[in-house]
Amino acid sequence: MSSRRRIAVVGAGLAAVSVCDALRAQGYDGELVLFSAESGLPYDRPPLSKDVLLGKARREDVLLRPEQWYTERLVTLREATVVRAVRPHEGGLELADGTAVDADRVVLATGGTPRALPVPGGDDPAVHVLRTWEDSVRLRERLLPGTRVAVVGAGLIGAETAAVAVARGCRVTLVDPVAVPLAGVVGDTVAGALHGRHTTEGIDVITGGVCRLEHPPGGGVVLRLAGQCRSVQADLVVVGIGIRPATGLAEAAGLHVDDGVVVGPGQHTSHPNIFAVGDVARRSGHRVRHEHWEAALRGGEAAAHGILGRPLPEPGASWFWSDRHGSRLEAVGTMADAERTVLRGTPDSGAFTVLGLRDGRLVAAAAIDRGPDIRAARRIVDRGIPVDAARLADESADLRALLKR
Amino acid sequence: MSTTSSTGIQVARVGDIDDGEALRVPPEATGHDDAVAVFHDAGAYYALDDTCSHGRASLSEGWIEDGEVECPLHSARFCLESGQPQCMPATTAVRAHRVEVRDGGLWLHLGPGEGAAG
Repeated sequence: MSSRRRIAVVGAGLAAVSVCDALRAQGYDGELVLFSAESGLPYDRPPLSKDVLLGKARREDVLLRPEQWYTERLVTLREATVVRAVRPHEGGLELADGTAVDADRVVLATGGTPRALPVPGGDDPAVHVLRTWEDSVRLRERLLPGTRVAVVGAGLIGAETAAVAVARGCRVTLVDPVAVPLAGVVGDTVAGALHGRHTTEGIDVITGGVCRLEHPPGGGVVLRLAGQCRSVQADLVVVGIGIRPATGLAEAAGLHVDDGVVVGPGQHTSHPNIFAVGDVARRSGHRVRHEHWEAALRGGEAAAHGILGRPLPEPGASWFWSDRHGSRLEAVGTMADAERTVLRGTPDSGAFTVLGLRDGRLVAAAAIDRGPDIRAARRIVDRGIPVDAARLADESADLRALLKR
Repeated sequence: MSTTSSTGIQVARVGDIDDGEALRVPPEATGHDDAVAVFHDAGAYYALDDTCSHGRASLSEGWIEDGEVECPLHSARFCLESGQPQCMPATTAVRAHRVEVRDGGLWLHLGPGEGAAG
């Protein structure tokens, strides 16, 4: 163990940077080293399937922090440096070049890797995924007008990518085995409106599963659909069917791993000196890993508190957003937790909100282009304010009024 | 509609901005290099540079409460008085300006060192 205090963070996404930010904000004055497998300053991922893919944002536009942040906060960024092993018993890391790095605490922020399409031909060179800056740039160069693009998976990444591709003049087919994706999270009304929008924007939407990718003699790719005569012809395929948590280092270090590195409320793993944050971590007792941007941010903050032994911040309701076809979806909580729903506004207008209630309290909200409703709903959920369904549905009443005491 | 004077720039009348609301004053009206958001929170007026220091959102569209504004894009919060970030993802302050209530008008005084270009 080094005599100097040092925290090593493996990974350089939002969760990693958030840990560093929160550690400094909490007064940690030891060394902080961020190990990034990629080159360049760490960047934010949400724009990769939006403005970066559209060609509207450059690398400098999507940096998580400016260069001076690293110097001002004494965060050492080790770019293009792969960590080969975590050594809990020796207190440190081993880099790919064999160098040993001492560290009192290690934070695993290794994220995940996109799931490959588990079918014959799924590893075809025409198949793209979207996770890194390089993935986005590579795909962007190929999204040319008239290109036939098949997007497999109509969740957040797939839907956003399909929307960008159609905006860039591609001929887009979107395939998902689920008829109305996201319905469990945002409810049927919002999910239906979102998914329906793909069709009105000119995307060919198919409910089905891909069972095989083939190469016809004339070039391109053919996607065969399970149980359907129909097939999809494409020049390129984008697969957005989720990620696999990058748990290799954790498993090799003997940590408890079960669909992610299992962590407690302060993000501590089964080893007291090792923490995990972001997409790679799964909170003990939670059925799923929370892969959203805000979860990474909050997880980073929680880890900093956990490392320093401070009381943990209040978690608050989850929140995420997604941009497609010029509209913004935002959701608080999970609609599946609601026993009844209330509609604010009219779905036909394109902008509306669905509020989910349980036992007289708000537990979830989902909205299309109604940010102020979401800002208010989030606070109403967090504060446990009793709500009346009729009042919530009344468009003439501002939701903010419920928060005034 | 803005009236320039050596004692500030009139951006609105008292009563124009409801409590919990904000007015976006475009750069053309002030000569400042960013739009300025003028906030009304619980009877007091504040002004900050309109563009969030983290993303590219307009803070005038943010949530105003308890002396803070929350960015509509990623929920970073800033102190209305000082412009200092209160939580992540923002880590740098937005410039703060002063609002004077005078003769029934709201007069904007651009913050120190950030004077009007024009």
